[in-house]
Amino acid sequence: MSKMRRYEVTAAGDFASVLAVLTDHLGLRLLSLDEGQRSWLDTPAGTLERAETTLEFRRPSGDGTPTLTWAAEGRVLVHDPCVSSTPPVQSSELPDSPAFARLATLVDGGELVAGPTVNSQIAVLACLDDEEKTTARIIFDRSETIDGITLPMLLEVLPLRGYEDEASALEKKLKRSVALSASVTPMRELAQQGASEGRGAGSGEDGAALVPTMSAASAWRAVFQDLSDAITKSFSGVLSGNDPEDLHAFRVAVRRIRTILQDGDDVVDPESRDRFRHEYRWLGDVTTPTRDADVHLIEFPELAATLPPSRREELVPFKGILERHRADCHAAMTVELRSMRRAEFGTAWLSFLADDDAWTGCGDLADEPVLRIVLRRVEKANRQLVKNGRKISKKSPAIALHELRKEGKRLRYLLECFSPLFNEKALATILRPLRDVQDDLGEFQDTEVQANALLELAGELEGADDHSALMAIGGVIEQLGVRGAEARASFSKTFGQFDNRKVQRAFDQLEPRKKKR
Amino acid sequence: MKVLATYNIKGGVGKTATAVNLAHVAAAHGNRVLVWDLDPQGAATFYFRVKPKVKGGGKAIVRGSLELGDAIKATDFDNLDLVPADFSYRHLDLWLDDAKKPLVRIRRALRQVSEEYDYVFLDCPPSISLTSESVFRAADALLVPTIPTTLSLRTYEQLDRFVEENPDMVRELKILGFFSMVDRHKRLHRRFMNDLRAAHPELLEATIPNSTDIERMGVHREPVGAYGKGSKPARAYEALWSEIQTRL
Repeated sequence: MSKMRRYEVTAAGDFASVLAVLTDHLGLRLLSLDEGQRSWLDTPAGTLERAETTLEFRRPSGDGTPTLTWAAEGRVLVHDPCVSSTPPVQSSELPDSPAFARLATLVDGGELVAGPTVNSQIAVLACLDDEEKTTARIIFDRSETIDGITLPMLLEVLPLRGYEDEASALEKKLKRSVALSASVTPMRELAQQGASEGRGAGSGEDGAALVPTMSAASAWRAVFQDLSDAITKSFSGVLSGNDPEDLHAFRVAVRRIRTILQDGDDVVDPESRDRFRHEYRWLGDVTTPTRDADVHLIEFPELAATLPPSRREELVPFKGILERHRADCHAAMTVELRSMRRAEFGTAWLSFLADDDAWTGCGDLADEPVLRIVLRRVEKANRQLVKNGRKISKKSPAIALHELRKEGKRLRYLLECFSPLFNEKALATILRPLRDVQDDLGEFQDTEVQANALLELAGELEGADDHSALMAIGGVIEQLGVRGAEARASFSKTFGQFDNRKVQRAFDQLEPRKKKR
Repeated sequence: MKVLATYNIKGGVGKTATAVNLAHVAAAHGNRVLVWDLDPQGAATFYFRVKPKVKGGGKAIVRGSLELGDAIKATDFDNLDLVPADFSYRHLDLWLDDAKKPLVRIRRALRQVSEEYDYVFLDCPPSISLTSESVFRAADALLVPTIPTTLSLRTYEQLDRFVEENPDMVRELKILGFFSMVDRHKRLHRRFMNDLRAAHPELLEATIPNSTDIERMGVHREPVGAYGKGSKPARAYEALWSEIQTRL
């Protein structure tokens, strides 16, 4: 089968001027010119992407009928009107035709979820021979994300079977007439990236645009929006799994949303608050095994370095187990992140944020100035942390430290997410020791979780009768135990640096000072 | 993959129009379709605007030295490909006669693309010859367009007799006759149709009208459904395809 070739149009000029070159200068025949919105559909597990096919739901501008197009390498396998004005969510909702029956078999009769959505102008052109027979099709695609991010213009050349020479000649002419650079990235992927960039302006670290006098509801909404942007920004990276930092950023944003929801009583609509707390908890949970597996791999070199050089080689088989385990976790997580549940909850969350009515009269304190509400919640969280931190002794069970860590996170996230509201100096005075406390508690918990996980995974080595590797793992687990014990031993000192007069007085100074006239 | 051959001993009955239009309908329904133009006149090839030439020669396909897939040309329609005619097909009978096991040559060639297509339409030249016998072996069904006239009636019955007398050659072959180029204004057409249906109740219900829209295929050089979507003949081919599917 003749391969499709894809180019990015690097020529200066807009869609219309490039199209004019294609038709007027190169004599290509314009077969169709469509404008409208399109979304890519796939199964939650990405079956169609793996099969190198695309399923597009197109909604033309104006009153046109929506269509579904299933294509492979740019070649249309089937293109049919869609009965519904919304994308099908089950393969049973696909149009009735032999090709869609093949598609339903491919997706195993399962559900379909909508991926990125773009607004597009798509021109299909034909290169004709002297019999006026098409020898190649050209798809010229200009799209922008629904957030208005313009994506690179793509030009795809599809040689028709049996006309490969003619298509090569056309490509040479194209390259002489339009500035092109070869591209391997399909529009679906560009759209995914564009959506992330467009919505991903907020990192969740810098804080939303907040002022002390704005209403609590508006501030909560702005913080959620900022954190949602951070989630969107990292989402494609989480799915690709290439950089563990993406998943880390994703999880931090998810946890922050949960915390701010938790502290949103009387500010956020209670029904929505309960629903989204539940869903964000689920989202956090489905990503935990992969994050844990990432941590095992990230820390592996450092842990291995604690062994004598002669024994480090013995860990090589175990590293393979960790990598396979991480791949399994990531695959399972991807299924969940592409599930209907995730798609529906994600859409519902964005709709909730966009719906002005959902934020009007949504709680007794919704219209109060945000600073007053946040200071009250910070004070409460601090009081609880101090009270429970003082109870921690050498004999306290691990669970007490884990609970304290959660309380510390709650306080930290409140301070960080609403940071633009506070006096910077007071905030820095609090955050520095608070982070140290969190680091100690985190080290204590993480080393314990990691040791347990490594012990479990080491079981896989036993079958291989690899005693030297098992011994080496034993050494690593021992090191984790030492680190955990060190963290616990230093807690009392670290907590004392937080629970002292200077830091506690800073809580009273969080309200920004009024400027003197 | 189902192989359907448009066939009639008599010429000028609408074989090529049937192959081209049914193939177009089948492809538009999302099937993967191949038309093999075996007629040296190359009318199907002309309708699809493809040059009537097989690179390497039609003989090489029959001999097996050229893969059928290498001769395939995409048409302008999604999911619809063509093996073009070649004027050398006028010697097809001679090539088959020279070859070992001539009756299975076309079937063997088609087997190479059996995973790629749902339906293959063989557009056959008129006659009963070694070529047609080879087609009978390859096909699952013969689509026999029949004009409601005395001569057509004779040829339809000739074919029916041939099939009856050669059960080994045709094996599971289905004969799907239908009326083509029907002019309902003509009393004679109506009478012949009634008589023939009485004698041959297996004839398909769907009929193809005599229509200038079909004749204009030569002007447009494309299937009638491409330029006359929703027209009477386009609807007739849709109905015919629908009925054929129930008989396969």
